[in-house]
Amino acid sequence: MGLSLVWYLKEFARTEWIKKFLFAKTAPLMTPSHFRGFPEPTGKTCQHALFCMMACPAPGAIEVVHAGDGWMPRIHKGHCIRCGLCVEACPNGVLKSGRILETMEREGTSLLFSFRIAIDLELCTGCGNCCTACPVNKGIDTQMGAGGHSSNDEVIMRVQKGDIVVIHEDKCTGCKTCEVSCPTGAIRIARILEGYQQPVQEGLQ
Amino acid sequence: MKRTVDVNIPLGPIHPCFKEPARLKCEAKGERIVAAEVELGYMKKGIERIMKGRPWQEVMFLAERVCGICSVIHNMVFIEAMEQISGITVPPRAAYLRVIANELDRMQSHLLANFSYCYTIEHETLGMYLLDLREQVMDELERLTGARVTCAYIIPGGVRCDIPRPDAELLQASLDRIERDLHRYSGMFAEGPMIALRSRGVGILTQEAAHRAHVVGPTARASGIAVDCRVNHPTYRHLGFVPVSRPDCDNFARIMVRFDEVFQSIGLIRKCLTDLPKGVIRGGGVCKAGETRYSGEAPRGELTYFIKSDEFGRIIEIQIQTPSIMNIEACCHEMIIGADSIADVTSTFVSADPCIACTER
Repeated sequence: MGLSLVWYLKEFARTEWIKKFLFAKTAPLMTPSHFRGFPEPTGKTCQHALFCMMACPAPGAIEVVHAGDGWMPRIHKGHCIRCGLCVEACPNGVLKSGRILETMEREGTSLLFSFRIAIDLELCTGCGNCCTACPVNKGIDTQMGAGGHSSNDEVIMRVQKGDIVVIHEDKCTGCKTCEVSCPTGAIRIARILEGYQQPVQEGLQ
Repeated sequence: MKRTVDVNIPLGPIHPCFKEPARLKCEAKGERIVAAEVELGYMKKGIERIMKGRPWQEVMFLAERVCGICSVIHNMVFIEAMEQISGITVPPRAAYLRVIANELDRMQSHLLANFSYCYTIEHETLGMYLLDLREQVMDELERLTGARVTCAYIIPGGVRCDIPRPDAELLQASLDRIERDLHRYSGMFAEGPMIALRSRGVGILTQEAAHRAHVVGPTARASGIAVDCRVNHPTYRHLGFVPVSRPDCDNFARIMVRFDEVFQSIGLIRKCLTDLPKGVIRGGGVCKAGETRYSGEAPRGELTYFIKSDEFGRIIEIQIQTPSIMNIEACCHEMIIGADSIADVTSTFVSADPCIACTER
């Protein structure tokens, strides 16, 4: 018994171990620079392109709001899943998250958007709410009435003879105001995304 | 026929050895198990219903959240199914980067599964060593993709970001370190006499029973069935992939198959890094209408997506078939029957690596 106690002390009571036990400090917890965190503003001016809202997969995670004279995206952290798609979608580099922005600039990657208006004619009642609510329509034809009728051929969509007709699909900015205003859920904006990269210059890889 | 049952023992849904909630109802005669049944349904998410009517950029993130342990493979199988529908070709560099992300994910999943087995047989030291090793793999995954678990790395026509040369060198160095440590730990497991007492000859799933129960993944490969979906994948075929298998059919073999596969994954990542082709990482391409069935090898076995999409690339119908359900059924009806003690029931159940989140999605 006594011998084994001596052996234990000799084996384990080493000065450097005791010193380490008492004074060792673990490295402080640091967020690595490559960690994809919540999007943060870079300080560039928001041009109100709204691509961040269109690309966001989480409902209600990002919205572009008035900030002083201009616009600014606001992140709702409880809804944001930190995917970083808004950072990739923004054409002006307003947001940053981890090193996504630097990587995109270095590699020349981007996301291409197109918006298509899909209307389920079985559900559509031809009420014209979508045509009236559409902010692009309002800009083109300020006289558009409550029924969605318009004599202007430049509008995105209008009601003709009780049916909705889409004329200029390419003008759609994908803001989804029509989706919100539709009483039957007949109109849906299909957001088509495409990952794109410019041809790589030699020497980068 | 009248059956004499001494006691009915319910295990779970809350049990310190289970990672996720499931209930095992065992009928025991003394301590010997004569019959068992599994009861699921404690965490149904209904995620397939949420996916309907959404474009790929939303479904991709939902697919990752089907399972938290093997999220990359869900992302990969969903995106490759969409690519098959739309006829999108992937640039070779992106295909290799996908394999790197997928194999890192498989490494961390297998290390976690082996940790929970070691924890269940009360060898917590080895379990914590393995968990520490898993943390290093997670760090590598984070450096490559930007996130530890829900990486969102794979998109139609490529991947989201490239691997810069300094990062590739760090990954190589880290792989060397992980391999060195893993040699030590798998040696500890293979040669530990107490571990062998708890593992060898326990939870036998014979090859015939495995065929009958349609088990997949490492559970099947530990019963001598060399089935692996990766042999059909073009990139893996290019890398010269050959599945590992063991003929022992017991708990020990299932854990050792996972260790072997981690070594194999390290080899595959090294091969990818040395052979990494030059070029773009995103080829572009728009998702179109169509219908397909696509399978990939998840860490637990064959994962299948049935997908139907409309002309704008939105999902109309989706069904996910996950590997764990076959393994759980085989575990209840074949492996734990005849187990000599209740302690072997939990360890056998954990050795099949059941993923309840996948099963109930």
